[in-house]
Amino acid sequence: MNAAPLPHPGRRLARGAVAIAPLCLAVVPWGLLAGSYAVGSGLSPLEGQALSLILFAGAVQLVVIGMAQDGASLAAMLLATAFITARHLLYGLSLRDRVGTLPLRWRLPLGFLLTDELFAVCTRHDAPAFDRWFMLGAGLVFYLVWNLATLVGVVMGETLPGIEGLGLEFAVAATFIAIVVPNLVDRPLWVAALSALVVAVLAAHLGIPGGLVLAALAGMGAGYVTEQVAP
Amino acid sequence: MSLFDLLALTLVIFASRYLFLEPALPLRLNRHLRGMLRYAGPAVLTAIWGPVVFIHGEPGRFALALPELAAATLAALLAWRTHRVLLTVTLSMTLYFLLRLW
Repeated sequence: MNAAPLPHPGRRLARGAVAIAPLCLAVVPWGLLAGSYAVGSGLSPLEGQALSLILFAGAVQLVVIGMAQDGASLAAMLLATAFITARHLLYGLSLRDRVGTLPLRWRLPLGFLLTDELFAVCTRHDAPAFDRWFMLGAGLVFYLVWNLATLVGVVMGETLPGIEGLGLEFAVAATFIAIVVPNLVDRPLWVAALSALVVAVLAAHLGIPGGLVLAALAGMGAGYVTEQVAP
Repeated sequence: MSLFDLLALTLVIFASRYLFLEPALPLRLNRHLRGMLRYAGPAVLTAIWGPVVFIHGEPGRFALALPELAAATLAALLAWRTHRVLLTVTLSMTLYFLLRLW
């Protein structure tokens, strides 16, 4: 494609920032929780913030803080982490032909910033053709918001009223529904999403560990088979 | 949590994000795998939101709860008609909290 030259990198960064803004909204309460839960369970403020700065993985942070408080071993924490974080392998695989061709100075930060939310905005049906600056802008803004929310949570600590019971999970669910539904533009995509839904709910109901990845793979397989057999 | 623990956890998470972005990793995706990856986005994201809407209690079991069910339906309809994420999230969250208070 020899279309018009790409706009200035700053504008592409800003586009990414705008694209991820609605997803930041849903993650703010989680960041607050990650911060307040960390100091509430006995970690120092610095440790609480370091989790968000270095791990940058909401679900893992909350699980690991709880496990550390219960005196779990490092091996147990690593195993739980591996299960939760395994889905990122699929994101890396999906973006391999686009990000994998970039120089290391791009791959490292984009890899570090690769969250569910960043993957979601990069693979939306109306996302621009892959643009490293767009991805970087979105990733950096999300990182910043996550860490600012954590900071507020750390500072407020246990004075933050119990926000766990408010149904924060639903904010994430609503965001992902908002991203996924417009993407379902043909039959294989519908089959993929519905298969993943059924397997994920079934696995959770039966208490099967690693159900998320299992469900994702089932959805991907079902979508692809549908595309081959009855598109 | 020691610094060593933190670094070990960081390594696992970063590895899961970065591994397949590394071109030196000798991995060539065949046609079928490449074809499946088209469905990665909807499949993974749905696998995340599905249990939030349909699994309740501790230990989690399949159950229908009005706030989640109604708000998720509204979110799906709004997303389908408007394609606007912020609007969808704001309105469906509002309905969700109203139903929970009620």
